[in-house]
Amino acid sequence: MIDDILNFLDPYWWLIIGVVKAVIIAVGLLSTVPLLVWLERRLMGRFQVRLGPNRVGPFGLVQPMVDAIKLLFKENIVQKSADKFLFYLAPAIVVFTAIVTFSAIPFGEPFEVGGETIGLWGANLNIGLLFIFAVSSMGIYGIVIAGFSSNNKYSLMGGLRSSAQMISYELTLGLTALCVVIMSGSLNLYDIVKSQSSMPYAIPLFPAFVLFFIAGVAETNRAPFDLPEAEQELVAGFFTEYSGMKFAMFFMGEYVNMITMSALVTVLFLGGWNSYIPGLDIPILVFAFKVFLLLCVFIWLRSTFPRIRYDRLMTFGWKILLPSSLVIMLVYSAVKVYSLSA
Amino acid sequence: MMEFLDQLLSFNLDRETVFGLFEQSIVFIIGMTAILASLGVVLCATPIYSALYLIGNMVCLAMLFLMFNAEFLAAVQVVVYAGAVMILFLFIIALLGAKKEGREFSFQNFMGLSFVGLLFCELLMAMMVGKTRPVEGKVTPEVIQQVGSAKAIGIELFSNHIVPFELASLLLLVAAVGIISLAKFTYKPMRKRTRT
Repeated sequence: MIDDILNFLDPYWWLIIGVVKAVIIAVGLLSTVPLLVWLERRLMGRFQVRLGPNRVGPFGLVQPMVDAIKLLFKENIVQKSADKFLFYLAPAIVVFTAIVTFSAIPFGEPFEVGGETIGLWGANLNIGLLFIFAVSSMGIYGIVIAGFSSNNKYSLMGGLRSSAQMISYELTLGLTALCVVIMSGSLNLYDIVKSQSSMPYAIPLFPAFVLFFIAGVAETNRAPFDLPEAEQELVAGFFTEYSGMKFAMFFMGEYVNMITMSALVTVLFLGGWNSYIPGLDIPILVFAFKVFLLLCVFIWLRSTFPRIRYDRLMTFGWKILLPSSLVIMLVYSAVKVYSLSA
Repeated sequence: MMEFLDQLLSFNLDRETVFGLFEQSIVFIIGMTAILASLGVVLCATPIYSALYLIGNMVCLAMLFLMFNAEFLAAVQVVVYAGAVMILFLFIIALLGAKKEGREFSFQNFMGLSFVGLLFCELLMAMMVGKTRPVEGKVTPEVIQQVGSAKAIGIELFSNHIVPFELASLLLLVAAVGIISLAKFTYKPMRKRTRT
């Protein structure tokens, strides 16, 4: 019976491999989130000259698990004036788009098992970069819908702020990523990593790298750009009315987005799994180390900078970041055309 | 159609038939969802749900593009329409505060009935058309494989269609300048503006 099924599916192994990959990526990402929460709380503690969580388990490692259990068993409050369907839909959109975005990122060379080549990515798309921007732009809907459906003025303000902010910074993100596309000549993320085998793009494209990272921090709604959830003005922004696991899902979405953004910066500018140090090429570990460093920078930024004012945020996005990224893109395309003709 | 039925009845299914049927049914489901979503845009009483149905419709169209190997078009569809245009729609709806309109008939009933009707029509059409013919002429399967890639579209745009492409960009520039001049400058005399 089982042999029959296996024979039947023989030319369609890629379907089974795809399903397994999807499960691994989803479970792996979601189980990294508690670790990242722990890392953030510990590091924030050190930055602010205090200890951080250290009571539950060794180094407080069990703390996020305990928090997760607490959130799972909390009462689920939906206030009467909320739009029930949209209220439940919003956190699902946020988590779903966050995980799907990561699925297009390659994090290692493909290897062979039993005659099948298995790539270390969810999907190696020809238009990988565009796909990531497309899906992550769908993630904004989760936040806007959450803000709208809660029927609360703070939530609505948070949702509107976040949509305006993300639209503005997406332009810079796209334009600076375009520099990498121009230099490598491909939208495929695997090819982009391959073209950096001698030098990461962070060195020749340094201004683009800096702008991309700033826009990336704004795009993931992290401090100092966390205007959508500014505690002092908006209680908690778009998820003011959420409780229990739905509240936790917004956090999951934010942290998965952080991981995806770090991985994207690694792939586009830091050379992916290329270690550049002979004798030190374990692709996945090199990739994970770079992502870990960038995550630490995210946390460092959060504990160092105060939140910037909303109008300054918009001015910064439209009058400084956007023109400078346009200029950078023009300069690099001129360089590319010159090098092609020479 | 009849062949499929015969095979189904005699349990004489090979792989290609099963997976071909699987793929066809996915295309069918996506298409139906797109149609229902577009019906929802027109028939829904709440503006915000209308906007959401429109987003659903656009995402379904992008998925259809994906099913036919047009990856680039699918991504552009999502980035431009579902990602950028519709978020502004939602923005405006959320800002203005959407009121629910009174409805004369049950929306759910209509959707259910229209789904059944469409399904029936589709089945009838499938019976009428019979076997589909393979693609011939300029559009060979190899060309179709190439169509989706960004490179093919770029080469086509910047060689055969360079003049319309540049003219379209000029049009967009005019629109942008027009909007800035409408929003930025008021055409009142200086004195009146200071009085208010």
